[in-house]
Amino acid sequence: MGDRENFEVDRDRDRVNYSTSMASDWRFGVGNFANSMVDSYVTNFWDHPNSQNLGFCDINGGSSNMNVIGKDGFGYGRGSHDHRTLEMGWNHASSVLKGDNNAFLPNGPAMLPQSLSQFPSDSGFIERAARLSCFGAGNSVDMVNSFGIPQSMNLYARIGGTMQGTGDALLGHGLRSAALGGQSHKSDPNVVEDAKDDKEMTLQDDKRSENLAVSHDEGKQALGGSANESDRAESSGRDDSPMLECTSGEPSNKGLSSKKRKRIGLDADKDKVDGSPEQPGAAVKENSGSRQQKGEQQPTPSTKGSGKNAKQGSQASDSPKEEYIHVRARRGQATNSHSLAERVRREKISERMKFLQDLVPGCSKVTGKAVMLDEIINYVQSLQRQVEFLSMKLATVNPRMDFNIEGLLAKEVSLLILQQRAGTSSAHGFPPELSMAFPPLHPSRPGLIHSTLPSMANSSDILRRTLQPNLAHLSGGFKDPNQLPEVWDDELHNVVQMTFPTSAPPSCQDLDGSAPSGQTKTEP
Amino acid sequence: MRNQRSVKQEFLRKWITGLRRYSCDEKKNMSFLERKKAIKLSADIAMASTRDKTTRWSQALIANASSSGDTLTGSSKNNSSRSRKKMLMMRRRRPKVKSAKKEMSASCIAKRLVEKRTRKLKNLLPGGESIDEGCLVEETLDYIESLRAQIEVMRYLVTASQLIINPYP
Repeated sequence: MGDRENFEVDRDRDRVNYSTSMASDWRFGVGNFANSMVDSYVTNFWDHPNSQNLGFCDINGGSSNMNVIGKDGFGYGRGSHDHRTLEMGWNHASSVLKGDNNAFLPNGPAMLPQSLSQFPSDSGFIERAARLSCFGAGNSVDMVNSFGIPQSMNLYARIGGTMQGTGDALLGHGLRSAALGGQSHKSDPNVVEDAKDDKEMTLQDDKRSENLAVSHDEGKQALGGSANESDRAESSGRDDSPMLECTSGEPSNKGLSSKKRKRIGLDADKDKVDGSPEQPGAAVKENSGSRQQKGEQQPTPSTKGSGKNAKQGSQASDSPKEEYIHVRARRGQATNSHSLAERVRREKISERMKFLQDLVPGCSKVTGKAVMLDEIINYVQSLQRQVEFLSMKLATVNPRMDFNIEGLLAKEVSLLILQQRAGTSSAHGFPPELSMAFPPLHPSRPGLIHSTLPSMANSSDILRRTLQPNLAHLSGGFKDPNQLPEVWDDELHNVVQMTFPTSAPPSCQDLDGSAPSGQTKTEP
Repeated sequence: MRNQRSVKQEFLRKWITGLRRYSCDEKKNMSFLERKKAIKLSADIAMASTRDKTTRWSQALIANASSSGDTLTGSSKNNSSRSRKKMLMMRRRRPKVKSAKKEMSASCIAKRLVEKRTRKLKNLLPGGESIDEGCLVEETLDYIESLRAQIEVMRYLVTASQLIINPYP
């Protein structure tokens, strides 16, 4: 941790010195510096593990990396990248840097400014170095994490490849963030897969990941607006190069970034694995907390830190999957600092959208949020309009607002409605249970309606008369004769009992029996 | 999801209660529009109360109705203020995020489209303006279900009333 702090201090100083025009250069220089450090000053590096530690905290773990790096100049032995191009650029950069790097190491923090002064001179070199720093970032990451995060190398390689035209904006972390931001919505399966394989090794080191997160976060902050801010925040989650550590120099960032790492891991796990139950809860909790903290899409160290811790904490449980998921989350949501929270949210939302797809007619073949939302809006609007229309109709039908509930709910009426609907269309919006059933009404049950309301008298008689000839006609075509009375019995019971508690026994109860009494009652 | 039949029954029950209050209390003859409004309002409130204020839209519906001085809502006024406060809090919790750079990338355009539509949906939903996007979909689901149940019951009533008046179609 001390190393990291030193590094951060260095960064700060560098930033102060080269704040304006040199900002990108500095970043670039940092990246190159890291690369060159690895390449040219292995011994120095090893000798001063606690001094100019660009986040390569655990040297021991990185020893193997160093060796690999020494081999081909980039330590990309593990990755399958364009070593040749990298090497060319790398060699050039390292040659430029070597002179100063020697001086840097012993000078400590002062080294960086000196090296930086050399960079702006050669724009082509800068571009190459930018590309290199991209890789270098991966390298440094690798170095920092004992396994060298081969995946990140792959990531960076590809990013570097695609970022060739971006220029200064892509320097150092800017490179990474921009690449990630630009490609945030494209999932690169190859990279992801590579990352996955390699990441398994990386997550073992808490410190390294912390460094990465912190450096990445800070680097992103330094970038300002080169890439999407959210991209930066997002990409800072895991594959941070130690170069970016020095942007803010806040020791608190480290702790925060570690937390964020953890959260990212958790969230990623949750996304893919549906893993340990505590993870989603923790992720969600932290996400909501981070959300509250951030409010904006500005990458804040807190979230990153918390994510880091979370990730580290969950490493033991789900390392391989976590790695993979983490990478995916990072790339897919590079633009969002609330990466974890966003992922959780998005999963929830997509799940609910599926339900909506079933509910809203005609949405099953529609993919894409916007079109589906369109359909949903149309549907809700049409439903609301239907309600309006129906209420208007009811107002027309009942000029006096006296709703003869009993009469309305009478079985005969429902039967009649069924008959109508069966006759007119096969698919109606009526309750399916009703449409499927038709009770075999006995002729002995002549649609009795115990209605004390005079208006019902004639209608019930008419209904009775109309229903009887229809019964024979309808009884043939219904599957479940018992459902209808069941359905509407309940309803009638409920409604009638509620509305007419003191009145005579509800009509439905008498429907089966006392026909004559009903008749006598209804007939005025 | 929910037991549709029981929901419909409950809705019908409550609706009839509300309607009866209109028919009993108001002895005067209401105009057509008044009637329509009364019917719709009582139906909406009945539908919202079937959710027992478990959803945001139902709370908002009742709150709006009670704020407009409707007699049907009665005791629900107490809940309305609480629900309104909750809604305001929700609004504050997630302030709108403005990105510094507006890039015309495909993803940005898509995002903007989705945002537009979510806003529209929020306006459609009662009490949906200050809703969390994560809950928005849930609320919409619920709302659509309730609307469908309400429409079915209303349609039945309409048909039944028409049939009673004119049994021979």
